Amino acid sequence: MSTSSTCSQISEALIAGRQEELLKHIHSALEQGTEAEQIMNEGLVAAMDAVGQRWKAGDMFLPEVIRSAKAMSGAMEIIRPKLIESNVKTMGTFVIGTVLRDLHDIGKNLVAMMMEGAGFKVVNLGIDLEPQVFVDAVKEHKPDILGMSALLTTTMPQMGEVINALKEAGIRDQVKIIVGGAPVTEEFAQEIGADVYAANAAATVDKVKAMMSAA
Amino acid sequence: MATTRANQIDNITPRFALLSDDQKQRIYLGMIKTLNDTGAHVHHDEARDILEQHGARVVGERVFIPPQLVRRALSTVPPTTTLFNWEGEESCRIEIGRTYFGPGPTPPFFIDPDTLERRKYLRKDAAMVARVCDALPNIGYVDSLGSISDVTNGLADLYEHADQIQNTTKPLMSWAFNVENCRDEHRIGIVLAGGEAEFRQRPNFIHYGEPISPLVSDYHAMSKCVYCATHRIPQVYTPCSIGGATVPASHAGQLVVGLSEAMVGVVVAQLINPGTCVVIGGVQSILDMRQSIYSYGAPELSLLSAALTEMVHFCGLPMFSTSGCTDTKTMEAQSGMEAALSIHAAMLSGATFVHDNGYTESGKTGSIFQTVLDDEIIGMARAIQQGIVVNDESLALEQIKRVGPGGHYLYEDHTLEWARRHWRPTLMDRDSYEDWDRKGRPAMRDRVVKKTRDIIENYEGPAARVPADARKQIDAILAEAEERVRSQSRPKQLQ
Repeated sequence: MSTSSTCSQISEALIAGRQEELLKHIHSALEQGTEAEQIMNEGLVAAMDAVGQRWKAGDMFLPEVIRSAKAMSGAMEIIRPKLIESNVKTMGTFVIGTVLRDLHDIGKNLVAMMMEGAGFKVVNLGIDLEPQVFVDAVKEHKPDILGMSALLTTTMPQMGEVINALKEAGIRDQVKIIVGGAPVTEEFAQEIGADVYAANAAATVDKVKAMMSAA
Repeated sequence: MATTRANQIDNITPRFALLSDDQKQRIYLGMIKTLNDTGAHVHHDEARDILEQHGARVVGERVFIPPQLVRRALSTVPPTTTLFNWEGEESCRIEIGRTYFGPGPTPPFFIDPDTLERRKYLRKDAAMVARVCDALPNIGYVDSLGSISDVTNGLADLYEHADQIQNTTKPLMSWAFNVENCRDEHRIGIVLAGGEAEFRQRPNFIHYGEPISPLVSDYHAMSKCVYCATHRIPQVYTPCSIGGATVPASHAGQLVVGLSEAMVGVVVAQLINPGTCVVIGGVQSILDMRQSIYSYGAPELSLLSAALTEMVHFCGLPMFSTSGCTDTKTMEAQSGMEAALSIHAAMLSGATFVHDNGYTESGKTGSIFQTVLDDEIIGMARAIQQGIVVNDESLALEQIKRVGPGGHYLYEDHTLEWARRHWRPTLMDRDSYEDWDRKGRPAMRDRVVKKTRDIIENYEGPAARVPADARKQIDAILAEAEERVRSQSRPKQLQ
């Protein structure tokens, strides 16, 4: 079977969100000697671009998009180490969590899944997190982007606390920071010294991609 | 104004029924089984201990509540609870069959009454919203439509409560960030009631609390629930369940989880203080799977709210429902359509409190203009809900015979009497073309703005009547809260 037809099979499985089938195609493509970079670009990225376009056009809905994103995450676990081996630039690492005294989970998880779908390695820290947890995670995972979420006006300032803690630890400059959550605004993001504000999960992916390509 | 269930002999109330008895039974059993088998997280040591002492199984934060505990809680919920205003007058009866429409709490943004632009919610808005709601005949209780941004961080709730309670004679619903602020709101209630025992006798506000969907009672929600139960503050304990995201996308599954989430609060409150008032329900709508927003204008909101109302009534509890809200950002046909459908559905389903009248932008922006528009819609929905009187007088056979074929009824005494009962518009346009043209061709938006600004300018409300001594004590409570927050917050250095 030709490489391009394998890549189109990979794309097809990814768009349909069929993870098992997707991984099978990826393994067989690798066995046939297809480069990881080609699988990534012609199979996975092409498919996720199509998913994004179909979603925006109203031909795909969130649960379908999430299926594709989770499948993408599984695929990247195989592909990422091979890309790194051959010195190909990967999409990077994204660390995300909900700040201290805030137990709201769903919006943050949605962002995490969409970022997985965009090919990022995602570390989802959870909810109700002390600033130090973010600091430790930045040190450990060396992410390109740190995302923070809050749903309450009382917990929003905790995002500023995290940024201060990163400054104190001397690592604020090592990571771009994106913030979101229902009461969070562009203005607030600037006030606390975040790099970017995103209004929703899809906007997060777009803004992070724009930020990465500008960097 | 309350809507009283009409006399069943003269006046058959047109209530619709969504669920059959069998369906209700199955959803109820689904809730019982979910609480027993799946359980819920309760991030509150005392609440978990109480639940365990009474037979719940506790594993870490998770509590599995057996059927008998739920049934016991439902047996001690009061069938009726009376609320009062700060002047000590009866303002509302919390019971199945009475309906009160009102605004909702905590959107971060607000439509500025002068510029009509979206901006942050300010302290001055809270008193204004209370006054406007006080003036609107079809709004039955007061809430804020926002979260104050221009006071000390962490005290928005308390300032809102202090300002709103003085600016209305209608029942007040107040929320709180935490149990300390809840206690301060209670203290303000006590000041105005004239003592703690007097407050228990004549509670002058109802607390609004919210667990996190799915099935999580966080520390703040539960500690306020415990506090209110202990001190006999009537309370609402309701989740915002997001269909397809925090709860199943199937409506029956959503009803099971939504009911279970709230029931945790009912069980804890009744174990702590049997007979304390708890209202459940909440925002029940879906996640829009294209825009990933929680839709406040979806027809599913009306459907789910009406169905949950039936389930909550099935459990013998008063329902906290939702209506009069929209996903759009400006006053236009969509805001009217969405509000009208949800208000009509809520009216027919007969929930006790119906909140969020005045929510726009999917709950992110409060608008007093939307509340004023909703007031008119509620009036229209009530006219339908009141049904048709059928008796000898209303059948009017004598008048029909007297007027006969080809006559008219305009001169009949009977007409004078009965035409008074027809609903009369205050915002709806029924002008002739010429009159409408002469007035400058006003659209609904123009009429709403005019009416709202007119109320803001001319309606005073009861605040001036609050005794100076009470006002001083309220100010002292606010000052103490400021001190508490100052001492709690660590000194920060922003670079």
